[in-house]
Amino acid sequence: MGIFDRYFSESSFDEMVDAQHQCRPHWQTICDQVEAAGIEGLKAKQAEIDWSLEENGVTYNVYDTPDGISKRRWTLDPIPFVITKKEWDGVVMGLRQRAKLFDLLLRDLYGDQRLLRQGILPAEVVYAHKGYAPEMFGFGNKKDFDLFFYATDMARGPDGKFWVVNDRIQAPSGLGYAVENRLSMNIVAKSLYPGVHTRRLAGFIEEMKAMIDRLSGGDRSKAALLTPGPHNETYFEHAYLSSLLEISLVQGEDMLSKDGALWLKNLSGLTRINTLLRRVDDRYCDPLELKNDSHLGVAGLVDAARRENLSMINPVGSGILENLGFNPFMRNIAKFFLDEELILPQIATWWCGQPGELEYVLKHLDKLIVKHIDRTETAQVYFGRKMDVPALDALRKRLQEFPHLYVAQEEIGFSTVPYFTGESVEPRNAVIRSYAFKRDNEYWVMNGGLVRVASQKDAFLVSSQKGGTSKDLWIVGEEEERAPSNPFKQLPCIDASIDQISTRRAENLFWLGRYLSRAILTTRLIRYAVKRLINVYRDESYASTESQHQLLRAITHMTMTYPGFLNRKTSGKLLENPMQEIVSVLKEPSRVGSLSFTLSMLSGANISIKNLLGIEAWKLFDKLQREWQIFCSANTRMNRTIVNEMDKLHVNLLAYKELVEESMFREQGLVLYDIGYRIESVQLLISKARSLLCLRQEKAAEYELLEALLNTCESFNAYRAHYRSALQLENVIDFLLLNPQYPKSLTYQTQKLLSDLKDLPKSRTHLTEYEVPIFQANSRLKLATANALVVYEESDGVYKELDTLLSDLSDLFMKASDEFSKTYFSHYDE
Amino acid sequence: MIYDIFHETVFHYQSKVTFSHNIARLKPKEGRDQELLSFRLDVEPYASEIHAFVDMFGNTNHHLLLREPHASLTVTGHSRVRRRIKEVQRAIERIKEGAPTYEKALQRLSTFNARDIAAKQFLFASELIPVEVGPIRDYALASFHPKRSLYEAGEELMGRIFEDFEFNPAFSDLTTPVETIFEEKKGVCQDFAHFAIAALRSIGLPARYVSGYIETLPPKGTVKLFGVDASHAWVSFYVPGSGWLDLDPTNNIIPLEQHIVMGHGRDYHDISPLKGVVRGSGQSRLSVRVDVRRAALQETEETAAPAHQTQSQSQSQSSPPSDPV
Repeated sequence: MGIFDRYFSESSFDEMVDAQHQCRPHWQTICDQVEAAGIEGLKAKQAEIDWSLEENGVTYNVYDTPDGISKRRWTLDPIPFVITKKEWDGVVMGLRQRAKLFDLLLRDLYGDQRLLRQGILPAEVVYAHKGYAPEMFGFGNKKDFDLFFYATDMARGPDGKFWVVNDRIQAPSGLGYAVENRLSMNIVAKSLYPGVHTRRLAGFIEEMKAMIDRLSGGDRSKAALLTPGPHNETYFEHAYLSSLLEISLVQGEDMLSKDGALWLKNLSGLTRINTLLRRVDDRYCDPLELKNDSHLGVAGLVDAARRENLSMINPVGSGILENLGFNPFMRNIAKFFLDEELILPQIATWWCGQPGELEYVLKHLDKLIVKHIDRTETAQVYFGRKMDVPALDALRKRLQEFPHLYVAQEEIGFSTVPYFTGESVEPRNAVIRSYAFKRDNEYWVMNGGLVRVASQKDAFLVSSQKGGTSKDLWIVGEEEERAPSNPFKQLPCIDASIDQISTRRAENLFWLGRYLSRAILTTRLIRYAVKRLINVYRDESYASTESQHQLLRAITHMTMTYPGFLNRKTSGKLLENPMQEIVSVLKEPSRVGSLSFTLSMLSGANISIKNLLGIEAWKLFDKLQREWQIFCSANTRMNRTIVNEMDKLHVNLLAYKELVEESMFREQGLVLYDIGYRIESVQLLISKARSLLCLRQEKAAEYELLEALLNTCESFNAYRAHYRSALQLENVIDFLLLNPQYPKSLTYQTQKLLSDLKDLPKSRTHLTEYEVPIFQANSRLKLATANALVVYEESDGVYKELDTLLSDLSDLFMKASDEFSKTYFSHYDE
Repeated sequence: MIYDIFHETVFHYQSKVTFSHNIARLKPKEGRDQELLSFRLDVEPYASEIHAFVDMFGNTNHHLLLREPHASLTVTGHSRVRRRIKEVQRAIERIKEGAPTYEKALQRLSTFNARDIAAKQFLFASELIPVEVGPIRDYALASFHPKRSLYEAGEELMGRIFEDFEFNPAFSDLTTPVETIFEEKKGVCQDFAHFAIAALRSIGLPARYVSGYIETLPPKGTVKLFGVDASHAWVSFYVPGSGWLDLDPTNNIIPLEQHIVMGHGRDYHDISPLKGVVRGSGQSRLSVRVDVRRAALQETEETAAPAHQTQSQSQSQSSPPSDPV
């Protein structure tokens, strides 16, 4: 039995078969080939496609989990949506006309408002719509306030013609998926559909690049794709498109505005941006002039456009064109602007803001669909035929009260198309999203599109957010085109040089290094202290208590969780029963400096640079966090359990560190991570050494503290190997602080910092402001000798020289860090 | 009458700000009823960029960019404004005589008339003002009978708000919804203006927010202190065929000479005196000083208006309301 023997569509029109269940001619080849492949063949092809999409990381974020988003793999059907060249050419004419009309509408609504003044479009249908941006009024007469890019959803109506379903204007999505669908289909097309030629897409992308070149004045480095960030549902596509179009992918935070223009913040400084391919919605683009709590935009962006220093694809304010209330007026608008009839039919639409139309709608409500004129995710759609009498009455009341906000549309059954469910081929409703961009005064339509297929049989609402799959659109009936001169290049999304690294990424990497170092060193110190607490009763020594207290104070110093063990009033009690305080320093997420706090800061940095890391690193970090959460919510009484957990965390952190360091080149920003890591390690080593060494102790206690210091620096064995002797203060100081060869010593790390800093773009032949303090620190360390440092004051038992040195070094590194941040991250004085 | 207006707004930041974009709206709007004789904008610390533009509502906006570390930002407008009392009175007379009935007004607004287009952007819900049916609409309809002139109905609505609502600066702040103001019948000028707008829009009449000042006179025999005034707000609604009629429900006055217009908007957000975006975290606090007084030089042909007992109060962008005047 054949695949299509049980293919019956209940729809008024099926793409593949006619009313007599005969295959339409342009589908015949495809139909035969699918039949020949059989279900098993289709399964194999589906697996190939799935593999290709998986391999290329094609995902779509879905807001379905209670605590946020999940990534869903993009799905693609092995059976294409087929259209003849002849029919498509007719559709293209209609799309061009419609795009042109919207372009003229956009300029008019924000400019002379001739349509309103001459009564062609009612003012109410414009002003009642949330998309109208009064902030942009007057921009209609400015340069580059054009509808550069246009997308529309079409479906075939019962009369066999394509109808416009929805216009997608302000930031249309899906182009990247359409391109990726084609590339994935190419893998199976040669074997599954030999001899079928379809129009290519590559030319469209090339022409889009040319458009961006023109807008950016021939310098595509001045163009960027503005994304809301990795949490957005189509973030994959933003990254993908920016790489196809060879422009930077930026978030609002990557830019600032000054001199009436937008600037991209890079490590090397500020570079101009004059063209934005925008995927952030209108009102989120500028917190100064638009939505004031938006974090996705740039303060001053509207001003840059006002001064004609910024072109946007598409301009802010174009959201007004996604207005179902415009439909009934499109015919007259076409007459007014072009003196033409509308080519593409629209679904019959009544805007309730007109008395006559409202009356009609109220009368025929049970046969109509009612929608809000705004397109919002939450806006309800009312299907009259599915509503009972009370519900219809309530809707009638609402329409009478707020007629301007609603339209009613005829309910239309759209065509079905064959779809491979995995087991069989069934008819499903489908919608085509097509794309056009403006060149000179004409619109170019892509020879293809994104076809979305309903997830269930007889589901008219097609939405990627609600599930469903996709198809490639094939325009057939042509000779094979010559292969384009510029085929798609899969460019790696890697910034080649350190100068190009965005400030946001640089800052996040710097802090990733700092927090990771802090997390590891905090874990080590506390783990050691808890271990000692377990053993303290075993040793039966008085010295142990003394050094134990000093060790606990070191925890407070190093984590800066003051007053902690230094609290004058309670320290006595705390030192005797330290576990409660230790657990707090471990688990209390709101306590600044606690390990939980540090880990949550680390998590923030990890998320923000996630796209630089490999999947192993993501997985490991998720696991690490999960385990830590479980530990934190459990009521742990056993110190041994704590030590075990800390062991686990320590290993996880070290593994994560290794994965981070393996994922990136230095030029990609690893050097910033290194600098952050070192500055933090140096600071914490100074803090630890100060609290463990500076106060003179009895011999036994001193021995234990030296042991603690070496152990928590993971340097005990190295010391033993180097000195082959018992622990001595002088030697430990020499080894951990002054030794220029030992990689964990202060001197070594300081020198390494100086050489790392030389790799940064603002480094010069003479010392920069952030290098000066490190250079001073280096000199101080070089000039110091261990035996001069171990001279103590009889009066208070403090190793004065050592304490002064460490305290000065701490100040110097603090200053260096501040100057460094100011130089590279703030941009305010450039 | 000629007035000298001093309006100082200060942002106090919790931590130092190195880079901030701000928009100030402190330059009074010119129109048939008032003339701007002079204006100066002072910004402290030094603003590296200042430039002005006029928005869709005809208000002058000053865009300020500050690029040096600062702990507070002070923006001060010094204006000298002439209120043209005769023009104001003429306009009111014209509306009084020519105002259509509510029924006729709705009829006209439901059809196309080129002159109504600009007004229609004030017909719908805006950020701070929801437009719903229900009790607020019923409240408005109690004054707006189909056969009644819009002038009369408007004046009555203003009087009812004045009677029914208690002036109470401790009750509300900028985030208090209009519905709450209506339920509790308490608030300040801003709230009354927002409420009146919500009421008028809910019955299909375009209504806009007016930001401005009102001259206050000290009790007889005392000298007015500098800076004790406040900015003021009232409502202006569209009378088709006759123009905009201003109503001050806080004082139950149809604004004449002592009301000086700063600008117009759909609600407070469109015409807030100072708003800004700073980089970095931390809260900011806004403080305001206003002084309105008759200028030393005065023309003789204009008669001085009788002194009303007036109240005015406005809120800053930060939540807690400032002290009442």
